[in-house]
Amino acid sequence: MEVQLITNPEGRLQMALEAGASAEYLVLQDGTGTSARECEVAYAISLAEGASLKMVFLSLGGTVLRNRLHVSLQGRHAACDLAGICLADGRQEMDYDVLLTHEVPQCASTQLFKNIVGGHGVTRFHGLIKVVPDAQQTEAYQANHNLLASDTAKAYTQPQLEIYADDVKCSHGATIGRLNPDELFYMRSRGIPQAEARLLQQLAFSYEVLEKISSPELREKMQALVEQRLRELA
Amino acid sequence: MNTLLKIENLHASVGEKEILRGINLEIKAGEVHAIMGPNGSGKSTLSAVLAGRDTFTVTEGSVTYDGRDLLALSPEERSWAGVFLGFQYPVEIPGVSNVNFMKAAVNEQRRQRGLEPLSAGAFLKLMREKMAYVEMDSSFSGRGVNVGFSGGEKKRNEIFQMAMLEPRLAILDETDSGLDVDALRIVATGVNQLKRPDNAFIVITHYQRLLDYIVPDVIHVLYKGRIIKTAGKELALEIERKGYDWLIQESE
Repeated sequence: MEVQLITNPEGRLQMALEAGASAEYLVLQDGTGTSARECEVAYAISLAEGASLKMVFLSLGGTVLRNRLHVSLQGRHAACDLAGICLADGRQEMDYDVLLTHEVPQCASTQLFKNIVGGHGVTRFHGLIKVVPDAQQTEAYQANHNLLASDTAKAYTQPQLEIYADDVKCSHGATIGRLNPDELFYMRSRGIPQAEARLLQQLAFSYEVLEKISSPELREKMQALVEQRLRELA
Repeated sequence: MNTLLKIENLHASVGEKEILRGINLEIKAGEVHAIMGPNGSGKSTLSAVLAGRDTFTVTEGSVTYDGRDLLALSPEERSWAGVFLGFQYPVEIPGVSNVNFMKAAVNEQRRQRGLEPLSAGAFLKLMREKMAYVEMDSSFSGRGVNVGFSGGEKKRNEIFQMAMLEPRLAILDETDSGLDVDALRIVATGVNQLKRPDNAFIVITHYQRLLDYIVPDVIHVLYKGRIIKTAGKELALEIERKGYDWLIQESE
């Protein structure tokens, strides 16, 4: 089993998972280092037979972040699980462009991208699942959920499926909404102050992504970062 | 005895529609008041207005609670002051566990009283103790607030929360609706254990059967946003037998 990982200063990352390889990859963009200002990263990832990849993105800081992912499932029984959370406010812009191609039969992919947008922040999600004609018995799911935390925040979402095989299970969904006022009132009626009630709801919204991180220590650390960022979110 | 709550000429609307049309009500510490009335008479609106729900606008009148202007307080401030609403339809909050929800609530109440937050051990002990009041299984604490709970479990969770917060004025909005006899008994036993000389209950119900378990000092009948009858506990039996029509005719 071998994983090849190549990064270079132009913000390109190539990863090829050979047959049977498995990898978990956590991307933290917290507004320091290369993600401090404008940052564009292109990921080109391929999975051979039986390989499995889990990738979790935490986009918490930076002025303009663009993540372009292309994951290509090239060997049977390859499995890919992508998840990400964006927290944007101020004038931040965060884009995800995801292309997931099922090139052979019997592969599985899931995508769960969630955004919380405040201030004048903008998030854009463009996701495409492409299933080639021979890729029968594909299972592919994609979801993008957006929570608007201010009246001036914007979330764009464009989930797409292109399916050329006929024996597949595929779905995609997207939502854009606000915090549920009934939930807020319920919490406030128990004495939880409004700001804290909002934070609890936003953490709950984020948790579905955070819980994908396998290492409990790392998950706890990332949850603390998300909570800290949410407390600042305007 | 001290007056805990005094409602005077309370009017409240949703949009253009006036729902409460001049409510007068006085509750003393140690009392249990039942509010009955046909559907749409304003019972749930009254409880929501008292808890501070902003979907209703108070257009006239006043509510004094423990000497303070209740209507000037935010929902959380009312809770800190000891007001509790048991919801007719408790809200599900996916992703927020019961234990984290209650910890946030209890520790905020303590902070408001200048107390240190409870230690993890002390909090869990308190939680176990209060869950026993309503025969709630400890497996509930890790689950999302009300998520996947049956109707009866949700109502028991309301009473559990009430036991945790120990309010001075508890308003129970149709806590009995959708409960079978066993759940009704459990809920009522929970309430009766929490009765003290210095707190009061408003029990909103459609049915006399809850009042077999939680015996009220006074019964009010609400109709079209006004209280049309106030009497002792025997009124519930009369309503059970004869319905509301005779009361409505009497009032018109």
